Amino acid sequence: MGRSAVMAPVPSKLYSDDVSLLVVLLDTNPFFWSTASLPFSKFLSHVLAFLNSILLINQLNQVVVIATGCNSCNFIFDSSSVPANPNLENGRMPALCSNLLQKLEEFVTGDEKLSKEVLAAGIGSSLLSGSLSMALCYIQRVFRTGPLHPQPRILCLQGSPDGPEQYVAVMNAIFSAQRSMVPIDSCVIGAQHSAFLQQASYITGGVYLKPQQLDGLFQYLSTVFATDLHSRRFLQLPKPAGVDFRASCFCHKNTIDMGYICSVCLSIFCKHHKKCSTCGSVFGQAQSDGNSATDRKRKTPET
Amino acid sequence: EDEDEGNGLDAWERAYADERSWESLQEDESGLLRPIDNKTIYHAQYRRRIRTTARIQKGLIRYLYIVVDLSRAASEMDFKPSRMAVVAKHIEAFIREFFDQNPLSQIGLVTIKDGLAQCLTDLGGSPDSHVKALMGKLECSGDSSLQNALDLVHGYLNQIPSYGHREVLILYSALSTCDPGDIMETIQECKKSKIRCSVIGLSAEIFICRHLCQETGGSYSVALDESHFKELLLEHAPPPPAIAEFAIANLIKMGFPQRAAEGVISICSCHKEAKVGGGYTCPRCKARVCELPTECRICGLTLVSSPHLARSYHHLFPIPPFDEVSLSLNNPHQRSSRACFGCQESLLIPGNKPTLCVACPKCKQHFCLDCDIYIHESLHNCPGCESFR
Repeated sequence: MGRSAVMAPVPSKLYSDDVSLLVVLLDTNPFFWSTASLPFSKFLSHVLAFLNSILLINQLNQVVVIATGCNSCNFIFDSSSVPANPNLENGRMPALCSNLLQKLEEFVTGDEKLSKEVLAAGIGSSLLSGSLSMALCYIQRVFRTGPLHPQPRILCLQGSPDGPEQYVAVMNAIFSAQRSMVPIDSCVIGAQHSAFLQQASYITGGVYLKPQQLDGLFQYLSTVFATDLHSRRFLQLPKPAGVDFRASCFCHKNTIDMGYICSVCLSIFCKHHKKCSTCGSVFGQAQSDGNSATDRKRKTPET
Repeated sequence: EDEDEGNGLDAWERAYADERSWESLQEDESGLLRPIDNKTIYHAQYRRRIRTTARIQKGLIRYLYIVVDLSRAASEMDFKPSRMAVVAKHIEAFIREFFDQNPLSQIGLVTIKDGLAQCLTDLGGSPDSHVKALMGKLECSGDSSLQNALDLVHGYLNQIPSYGHREVLILYSALSTCDPGDIMETIQECKKSKIRCSVIGLSAEIFICRHLCQETGGSYSVALDESHFKELLLEHAPPPPAIAEFAIANLIKMGFPQRAAEGVISICSCHKEAKVGGGYTCPRCKARVCELPTECRICGLTLVSSPHLARSYHHLFPIPPFDEVSLSLNNPHQRSSRACFGCQESLLIPGNKPTLCVACPKCKQHFCLDCDIYIHESLHNCPGCESFR
């Protein structure tokens, strides 16, 4: 990515409350796209048309695209940066498409090269926690530019299944987005619902949608996800239905509605145990300081 | 003389009287003036903060009593408009931040007035009830009694479950304490009951507060001005390092209710009125509750949702502090990392001067100072580590 241009100061009357910064997290996981019902090229044409429409709605709108790969994540496109080839005619429109596609191709090739020979059990998922974290860092930079800035939001275009190993990282990102008041919208193009994204959209006040007909994807994107945050108050957008907040037990990964929580580390178990498998605390006795660096005598013997 | 600063001065004059703007200039090596570089100062403060809190077991289930001093010293106006008003305003922000970081913990409020301590609200997990109760009772008079407050809190905290961490935070405006008995005995009782007492003073350092905090393992600080007070108060929001023998580890039975279907009519157990849709159903007794986390009023089961537990997981899996790195253009190995990995801001400043940035010890990616602070204080994920398998 080249250096971003400094955002030129704009007279205050042009910064109305419907200026948006849209950060799009694009799932490029080849394991998902090789079996998806919608081909990747058709998907891209829907998305590019949608991104163009965002930039047309308001000349101050900004679009940033981050690719979520299966081995890496990276920034693909930033509409506020100086285009590589300023000699193209017709302003930004053709430059947007060719720029984005070129960077995307470089990213996908690089991502595939990083694939290790032996595939771990958790493969099949993309690095959603990585691209969410990068998006939030970028949005914090926009907040730092001062009181005049566009309203940021994140749109996840996700098809890969959730990776349970990313649970803590994804939840951390969700809570940070909630505190910064950045909504996370989700458009799920895979076969199954995503519990992570349902929770993300519910907690941050975004919109969650799993479109029924993927060949009309552009219609869904432009009617549900194109509007700025201010206008959402007047629109009827899809409401969250049946968000599952039950927990999974650490021992079997089953969903449970009643369980036992270790008071030291908050691990969840479905049955009573004598000892916590995560932190080693023995229940019912004052635990010894096994985790700290200081050398302390154990107060109670382990039975 | 200083008390009159607000009267008869225009706003621009007040800025000079209050803020001493000449103090925010520094001299560089050649004697020329330059403004203070705030960014490196904030970063240095943040580095001091994280150094003290790495990798120590934390007490996640906390029962905290906030003791508000409403003696006549609280009506002093060195904090504008009065100490009491400033304290109340920041307590509200603190309570919200506390429940945000410790969703399974509970707060209770105690006031000291006319030499007596009174319980304003019982231990509970709902921020609004505490804030409302406090705002309705903001009058100050009489003496302050530290011993009465400690005795009261000690009695209440003895009744909580053994796995919880017991804490008291005293916001003390007075310079003295009028006690009915021997306060040293009370302090020893608190120490025996493993109550961690901390004090934030608004006037000056007092020996008895220092002694109390030292004996019980709490922290004592005195606020210099309003913003310093806010900073000191918010330092108590994240869980303190836990002293392992203080709380007994236990398995707590909890329920994870499902959201009730839309359109279902039921009587909610908290407000005792019929409600349509929304709400949650207790998995044990099927009673309807309005919000989480809470305790089911019918069967007593603690009800939480998995995000409430997840809010505390970053305390258990902290990311390591980043190492300070000086980027110079001459180093060929550092050519590729010209931009911060998180926010893509350029790490170079014009003039080819070496700039200060940080790098993650695990993934070796470079980040700018602002991202370093954001990552460690709010996000709790390293974007570099999360973006590579």
